[in-house]
Amino acid sequence: MYTQLAWRNIWRNPRRTAIILTAILIGVAAMIILAALMRGMVGGMVENAIDNMVGHIKIQHPDYRSDPDISHRLSEVDGISKALKIVLPESARITQRIRIDGVVSNARETAGIEIVGIHPESEIGISFIGTAPVEGSPITASDKNGVLIGAALAKKFQTGIGKKLVVATQRGDGESGSRAFRIRGIFHGDMEATEKAYLFISLPAAQRLVHEEDSATEIAVTLARETSGKELEKLVMQCRTALEPFNVSVYGWKDLLPAITAYLAMFDVFLLIWFVVIFIAMGFGIVNTVLMAVYERMREFGLLKAIGMRPARIIRMVMGESLFLLILGCTGGTFFGLGVTCYFAETGIDLGAFSKGTEMWGMSRIILPVINASDILFANAVVLLLGLLVSIYPAVKAARFTPVETMRQN
Amino acid sequence: MIPRHLFRSGLFCLFLLLPLSAFAEDGASVVDKAFKHMRGKTSAAVIEMTIQRPDFSRTMVMKAWTMGKSEGLFFIESPPKDAGNGTLKKGRNMWTYNPKVNRTIKLPPSMMSQSWMGSDFSNNDLSKTDSMVEDYTHTITDTRSENGITIYEVTSVPHEEAAVVWGKLELTIREDGVLLREAFFDEDNLLVKEMTTLEISSMGGRLFPRVWIMRKAGETEKFTKLTYKELGFDVNLPKNLFSLSSLKTKRR
Repeated sequence: MYTQLAWRNIWRNPRRTAIILTAILIGVAAMIILAALMRGMVGGMVENAIDNMVGHIKIQHPDYRSDPDISHRLSEVDGISKALKIVLPESARITQRIRIDGVVSNARETAGIEIVGIHPESEIGISFIGTAPVEGSPITASDKNGVLIGAALAKKFQTGIGKKLVVATQRGDGESGSRAFRIRGIFHGDMEATEKAYLFISLPAAQRLVHEEDSATEIAVTLARETSGKELEKLVMQCRTALEPFNVSVYGWKDLLPAITAYLAMFDVFLLIWFVVIFIAMGFGIVNTVLMAVYERMREFGLLKAIGMRPARIIRMVMGESLFLLILGCTGGTFFGLGVTCYFAETGIDLGAFSKGTEMWGMSRIILPVINASDILFANAVVLLLGLLVSIYPAVKAARFTPVETMRQN
Repeated sequence: MIPRHLFRSGLFCLFLLLPLSAFAEDGASVVDKAFKHMRGKTSAAVIEMTIQRPDFSRTMVMKAWTMGKSEGLFFIESPPKDAGNGTLKKGRNMWTYNPKVNRTIKLPPSMMSQSWMGSDFSNNDLSKTDSMVEDYTHTITDTRSENGITIYEVTSVPHEEAAVVWGKLELTIREDGVLLREAFFDEDNLLVKEMTTLEISSMGGRLFPRVWIMRKAGETEKFTKLTYKELGFDVNLPKNLFSLSSLKTKRR
C-alpha cells in the first residue's frame, strides 16, 4: 500500500516530477558518458604509449634505460630472439631496433633527434610506424641510405622527398659517425611531437652508422589484443627466466611507462570524485524537490497522523517517493548515457581542433569512448545510495509534523 | 716498320700521359692546390676576428697554428676576458678548452653545426675542411682572366654518400691558388652563406688574402671578418703541438 501511495504521490505534480527526473537523468547520463570518455582517453593514452615503440614486453641491455647509448646494446640478438620465440605464444610479434640519440642537419637547420633503425615489415602491428601514413615511399629492410622523417620535421627543415639529410651520432667505438641519407618518405604521426622526435632508417643502415654489425639496442614484443594484465605479467616472468643466460633486462609495459601506470592506479579514485561532484549538484535538486513536495502536503501529513499513522510509516512513504524518482531517473539516465556513448563510440570524438592541448597529455586526436559495465553500476549505485541518504532529511521533516501544527498553518 | 711491342708500349705511354695533361685543368687539382697554397705544410698566424652584429661588434685576437689539412690549434689572446680559450682540431674531431673551468670538451656531433666562438663560422666549417677534396666532385665551370691572372670558377657537388649538408659549393680560385670566394648552397641551389677574401698581399712569403669575410645570405649588418695580422708558412712546429695537453697548457 505504501509503495502504491508513493507511486501515486509522485504523479500528483507531474511537472515537478518531470523536472527532477530530467535532472537525475542528465546527472546519471553525464556520469556514464564522462566515465566512458575518460576510459577512452586513458585507453587511448595507454595504446598510444605502447604503440610509440614501447610494446608489451621489451628486452634491453640492463644499463640502456639509464643511459641510452650504443655501448649498451644487445649483442646476441639472434640467440635472444630464438629463446623468446620458444616462450611466447604464436600470436606475439617480435622486432629488433636500434635506438640512439643523434643529430640531423641539412644546410639550414639542425635538430636533436632519436635515430631509430627498424625492420619496416616487422614493425606492422607493433609500433605506429608500421602502419603510419607515409608520403612518398616507405623505407625497405635493406635500404642503405633511405630515411623516413615526420611531417613536422620536414616542415621545420623546409625539406622534402628526395632531399638529403646528414645524420650524426656516436659510434660504438666512441668516435662520432655521420652519414648522408636521402628522404624516401614523410610519415604522419598521431602527434606533432612524434613527428619531430623520431627519424627512421633501416636496421642495417643504423648498424652501419654506429659501426656495429648484427646489433640492436632493443627487442620489442607485442602480444595479441586480448592478453590480460595477469597473462602479461606471467609472460614477462617466463621471458626473464628464459633470457637469464644472456644478461639482459626484460620489462613489461607497466615498467616502461611508470607515469601512465601511476595514472591508471589513481583513475578509479578520480572517477569516484567526479561522480560525487556531479551528485552534489544533483543532490540539492533532489532534496529541494522532495522538501517542497512535503511542505505542500503538510495538512495531509497532519491528517494522516491524526488518524493514527506512525511516523516511521510516513518516513517510509516519503522515502519510497524519492526511491521511485531515483530509479526512474537512473534507468532513463543509463539508457540515455549508453545511447550517447554508443553513438560516439562508432565515430569517435575528434579533438583535432584542440590537438595542441591534447598532445601535451599524449592523447590521440580522436577519442573513442569505452563502456565499462562496472562504471555504469558504480554511477547508479552512487546516485541511488546518496539520493536515498539525502532524502532522509525531508522524510524525517514530514514525520515530525504534529496534527495541531499543520492545522494552524492554513 | 715499327716493331709491334714498341708500338704497343708507345700507346701505353700515351694513355699514361693523357690523364696527366687533363690534370692541370682538373677541378680537384685546382682545389687541392688552393688548399696547399692557403695552408702550406704548416702555418702560424695572428688573426683578428671581428664579429659584426646590428647592435654591437666584438673583436678578438687569436693565435692559430695549422699543420697539413687536418690539424689546427687556435687560442684567443685578447680581450682578456676570453684569453686562453682554445680549440684543437685533429682530423674531424674537435676539442675546446675553457681556462675558467679548466676543462677540455670534445665537441659532440650536436655541437658541430653550431657557431664557432659566436662567429658566423660553424664548427663544421673548421672540422670538415680536410675532406673537401674527397667529399666533393669538383668541376671547373668557368675560366676567366683578370689582369693577366687566370681565375677558375669551381663548382663542387658532394658525393651521394658524403656526410655533407650542402647542395653544392662554388669556389673562386686564382691560378696561383689564392681562394677568392667560397659560397655554400642548399639543395635547392639557394645561397646559404658566402665567404669572400680581400686585400691580397704578400704574407709569409706568398700571396695571401689579408681579410676574410663570412656572411650569411641576405644579411647585410651581420658578418664575421678575419684579418691576418701576422702569418708565416712552413714554420717549424713542435711535434706534440696538436695535442690535448698543449690545448690545456695554452702553448704560445
